[in-house]
Amino acid sequence: MTGPRVGTSRRDFIVRGAQLAAVLGIGAPLLQACGGDDDDEAVTEPIDDGLEPEAGPLRVFNYSDYVNPDVVASFEEKYGVKVEITTFDVDAEALTKLASGSVEVDLHHSCAPNTLNRLIAGGLLQPLNKSYLPNAANVLAAFDDPWYDPGSQYTVPYTLFSSGIGYRADRIDPALVETAGWDILWDPTYKGVTSILDDYREGLAMAMLRRGLTDVNTTDEEVIRQAGADLRELTGLMNIKVNIEGYKDVPEGVTDLAHTWSGDMIGGAYSYLPEGTDPSVLGWWYPSDGVGIVNNDCMGVISNAKSPVLAHLYMNHLLDAANAELNFEWLGYLPPIDGLDADYLIAQGYVPENLRSAVLTNDIVAKGLRFEPLPIEADQIWEEEWSKFNAG
Amino acid sequence: MAAPGTLWLVALFLVPAYAILAVAFGGVDPILRTAEPAWNPVDWDFGAMRNVLDRVFTGDLAHVFVRTGLFALLALAGCFAIGYPVAYYVARVAGRTRGVLLVLLVLPFWISYLMRMLAWVNLLQTDGLVNRVLEWLHLGSGSRNWLDGDWPTVVMGLIYGYVPFFILPLYAALERLDWRLLEASRDLGASRFWTFVKVTLPLSVPGLMAASVIVVLPMCGDYYTNTYLTGGSPRTEMVGNQIEFFLRGTSQPQTGASLVIILMVFLMVAMAYYLITIARSQRDGARA
Repeated sequence: MTGPRVGTSRRDFIVRGAQLAAVLGIGAPLLQACGGDDDDEAVTEPIDDGLEPEAGPLRVFNYSDYVNPDVVASFEEKYGVKVEITTFDVDAEALTKLASGSVEVDLHHSCAPNTLNRLIAGGLLQPLNKSYLPNAANVLAAFDDPWYDPGSQYTVPYTLFSSGIGYRADRIDPALVETAGWDILWDPTYKGVTSILDDYREGLAMAMLRRGLTDVNTTDEEVIRQAGADLRELTGLMNIKVNIEGYKDVPEGVTDLAHTWSGDMIGGAYSYLPEGTDPSVLGWWYPSDGVGIVNNDCMGVISNAKSPVLAHLYMNHLLDAANAELNFEWLGYLPPIDGLDADYLIAQGYVPENLRSAVLTNDIVAKGLRFEPLPIEADQIWEEEWSKFNAG
Repeated sequence: MAAPGTLWLVALFLVPAYAILAVAFGGVDPILRTAEPAWNPVDWDFGAMRNVLDRVFTGDLAHVFVRTGLFALLALAGCFAIGYPVAYYVARVAGRTRGVLLVLLVLPFWISYLMRMLAWVNLLQTDGLVNRVLEWLHLGSGSRNWLDGDWPTVVMGLIYGYVPFFILPLYAALERLDWRLLEASRDLGASRFWTFVKVTLPLSVPGLMAASVIVVLPMCGDYYTNTYLTGGSPRTEMVGNQIEFFLRGTSQPQTGASLVIILMVFLMVAMAYYLITIARSQRDGARA
């Protein structure tokens, strides 16, 4: 294991790179990509009050298919601007691309709390001006002062979800899933029809929870190595698949058991069930003692945004209760907005009764375990164990 | 005269290769955890490379490299079995339809590789067209799960994805063959089979080598074929998947870059063999 070598600063790297480029007479595009655009100064203060929205376009950085196109269209219509969405696959990839300047966007639509500290410390996000965010009053009180962003200076929450097991209730007895819990993912009865999340923190933390260990931010090498060894059992025992396709594979019947996110089951129930299939074929399990992973994505304005006012107005648009509900109807991921509880969502027909437990309650949010930033040495052990597991 | 070629080589090979070295032997930004390349060799740190070499030669990554090599060799054999007859037919037999056949061979390039792999995902599903055809032909129960993480599906995907790249250079080589040598062989009493074995095949070696290099190099770095066709099964993980994991946002990009370098070294050995074979072939040709 090799720790970080902190030799040159980021600025040194850019300067030395430019010298090399001058010597070679080439490579400017590569170095520009590494260093970003010097014309775009990072902003460390919130924008002023009362500014007019820019002409756009508003450039948004988001996961693919992670916002209702109708909600985006209504924003475009309201402000007469175009919204351009650039996508990424995993949170760390987004951070790398923003840091290298290889994407130029105004708004990070879905950043994870456990990497947010790096975005802020790296000067990639600008503080928010809350005078543009009156709809932030709709957000659950639990997010007034979130652990990852004290005072919500840089972000507003976008979605809230838990990690559990999505399964086919028509093929596996729900009582059996309830009894077995995480162990069912190691039950060879379901060999070939089981998957786990392609996310090193989620995968290894799940193996720790199975052993009753609740420190999902551990730096204890022995614990991390053991979790990796437990996951490696799954390759031969279960012919496990490692992906983030549970949202469609379970509804379509390709997978019977999927370690996945709660929003995937709710969204999948309406978007991916074959025509004529009743949503009651789906099931959701989350630890009955409430000790499981709870996570959220959040939105923030990029420090060198060209349309920071529009970015604020877009976030405010998504925090509007009606828009949040419309977004949930399409996406299945719960916005942390007051009033959008299980009773209401089931009554509206957005969530089938059998997936009630996939809608997070205040109790689950309060008891839930959170992924926090890891020291780099520990993070590298987590990554190495995930690499070993995937090596088969 | 050599300036454009030199510039091309420097811009598209040497600079990127040096950047990979600088990342592999560099550090990590302590805040963002992105690569902090060490451009000056004096600053190079070989710790990550040592760790990766341990894993490649004595640890868990050894079988990833072996698996990748086997997949590439099996897919190459498949490309040869399919590609050679096709290239031979187009070069030697097609006549006036040659132009149409060449267009058909180029046609797959008009659709992105990912789209073609996604199409295979649909075809190979349990209720997909492949199983239905096999059932109709009484060649199976029609319920085989082709996407269950088995190597034959990955090899099939690699063959399908890369066989056009194999056919085109081979066709170009076969089309330039001196067909009078084949006629001489027949005149001297050799059968069609022995003419092929003793004359056509040896004369196609440079074309075969070029075609093989063109398909094997990208196959060894491929990471999406097995991802799409196995649902992400660790049993079919290739080196490209490990490189993708480490370079797409982990806190150890040096590990990913080190894997790139090790893979490049392995492939350079194969490339050197190709160059030596071509040089030898040209020397023998000049003597004849």
